[in-house]
Amino acid sequence: MRVLRAWPVLLRVAWAEMFAYRAEMVVWILGTSLPLVMLALWDAAAESGALAGFTAGEVARYFTAVLVVRQLTAIWLAWEFDHDVRTGALSPQLLRPMHPLWWRAAETLAAVPWRVVVLVPLLGALGAWRPEAVAPPDVATCGVFALSLALAWLVGWCVQVCFGCLAFWFEQALGAWQAWFFAWGLLSGYLVPLALMPPSLRDVAAWLPFYATLGAPVDLLLGHADPWGTLARQGAWAIVLAAVASAAWRAGMRRYGAVGA
Amino acid sequence: MIEVEGLSKSYRVPLRPEGRFALVRSLWSREAREVRAVEDISFRVAQGERVGFLGPNGAGKTTTLKMLAGLLEPSAGRVRVLGHRPQDRDPRYLSQITLVMGQKQQLLWDLPPRDTFALNVAMYDLPRAQARDTLDELVEMLQLAPLLQRPVRNLSLGERMKCELAAALLHRPRVLFLDEPTIGLDVEMQAQVRTFIRGINARFGATVLLTSHAMADIAALTPRLLLIDGGRLRFDGPMAELTRSLAPERQVRVRGERAALLPVLAPLGFVEEPDGMRADVPVARVNELLGAVLARMPGADVRVEDVPLEEVLRRAFRGEAGAPA
Repeated sequence: MRVLRAWPVLLRVAWAEMFAYRAEMVVWILGTSLPLVMLALWDAAAESGALAGFTAGEVARYFTAVLVVRQLTAIWLAWEFDHDVRTGALSPQLLRPMHPLWWRAAETLAAVPWRVVVLVPLLGALGAWRPEAVAPPDVATCGVFALSLALAWLVGWCVQVCFGCLAFWFEQALGAWQAWFFAWGLLSGYLVPLALMPPSLRDVAAWLPFYATLGAPVDLLLGHADPWGTLARQGAWAIVLAAVASAAWRAGMRRYGAVGA
Repeated sequence: MIEVEGLSKSYRVPLRPEGRFALVRSLWSREAREVRAVEDISFRVAQGERVGFLGPNGAGKTTTLKMLAGLLEPSAGRVRVLGHRPQDRDPRYLSQITLVMGQKQQLLWDLPPRDTFALNVAMYDLPRAQARDTLDELVEMLQLAPLLQRPVRNLSLGERMKCELAAALLHRPRVLFLDEPTIGLDVEMQAQVRTFIRGINARFGATVLLTSHAMADIAALTPRLLLIDGGRLRFDGPMAELTRSLAPERQVRVRGERAALLPVLAPLGFVEEPDGMRADVPVARVNELLGAVLARMPGADVRVEDVPLEEVLRRAFRGEAGAPA
């Protein structure tokens, strides 16, 4: 209840903080716009007929959806958390009678309006280039997509809490995060649609958490995946990773102090 | 209020060995050293007390304070503050305490202080009217009005510390843990902060446990001292008792020109100081010495003082004879 009552203020202050960082925000947002580059590459391949069953229009739709999902689920908690633990900046946050991750969540969500502001003109430009890229889905698909997007955010958040917690034990915790990020780029559908992967790899990747954070909502938006099965897998990952994150946090708290509290 | 029994804290610090292949070797076998930051400390603090926690760098003061505030888990021993185990970090406990760390800040760097205040009001779930009254009071006591609209990054160190204090006290904590609250502040600002802390203690009956290297903080704020050194508690009692035990003598000071003082006072046991000469003598000999000085130098500028607290503490940390263990 305390969190619910505090939430509007947390969002308002986090929004003010994002506003103070507006120039950096735009740079960060553009830095997560790699799908536009991938779109240009895959579009050329599709035009040459190299992608069996994937037309240029479908490529445009796919990477436009990747761009939207990536922007709306971008999280940078692992970096913040790693810094806070190593420098002891976590200590003042731990003294408040509210879990520090609520504030970090507010900061992440307060950035979403900024991302939308940058997204809208990008989508306008993509629509002018290939109208099918921004063709609106039906209401039912929108509902499934919204749910999937929320689960993708939650899975990504829990993953970053887990990696952030490594800072309680290791000085170079972000190295592990980079390894995860590399695998994520390959297996989430960020660089290559799962549909273009070899079937055996595609079947495995669809069950991994990487896909749950990006490819799942993208495929649901485009009608390329079974809604209930995909949502169930995302939900399962959210539960498992939330449990791991919670355990990592509790163990990390007992450990905190040897690393600069 | 605060009960500490047999409190200890030790942790392992990784060592980076020297040598040509040490870095490679450390990939599979890392050496570590156990540091005993706090060892078997016991004390009690009553409600409304002001207690100074003193010790040299690395003595274990801040570690103890962090254990009391719930940031660190004790390795051994028992701590209860306001009936809570601090390491449980129960929100009901955290709502009643504060820890101000002179070297760490909770203020949001790029926003005005009022945004951090608003965040704290929400996180502590404070009734609006109470929060407004408290903030008004803090703004007045600390003269914060001109600072509220400016981003924290544009405030001076002293201004930031005053805002830190306000943010830390907005929820009217019953226990204040203050870790070097005047570090880096100029003399005027230190005095303001000290006056403020005394005021909070007097008006709200808040318990204050303070660490500081500034002796003026200790002298002005904390009638009771806890001396900690090497992780162990060396003394617990009133400052006067410590002074009596470690520095029972008085300092007789005569100010004046060196050339005029030296031939007269040196035979009486005086030593040179930057602005005159000084003799440390037992209390019983003070009158006799004063008489001798005034007989030789009528109208001399003479003062009799206690040994400064800095010197008392230097003796305590050197473990001189008479130091209470």
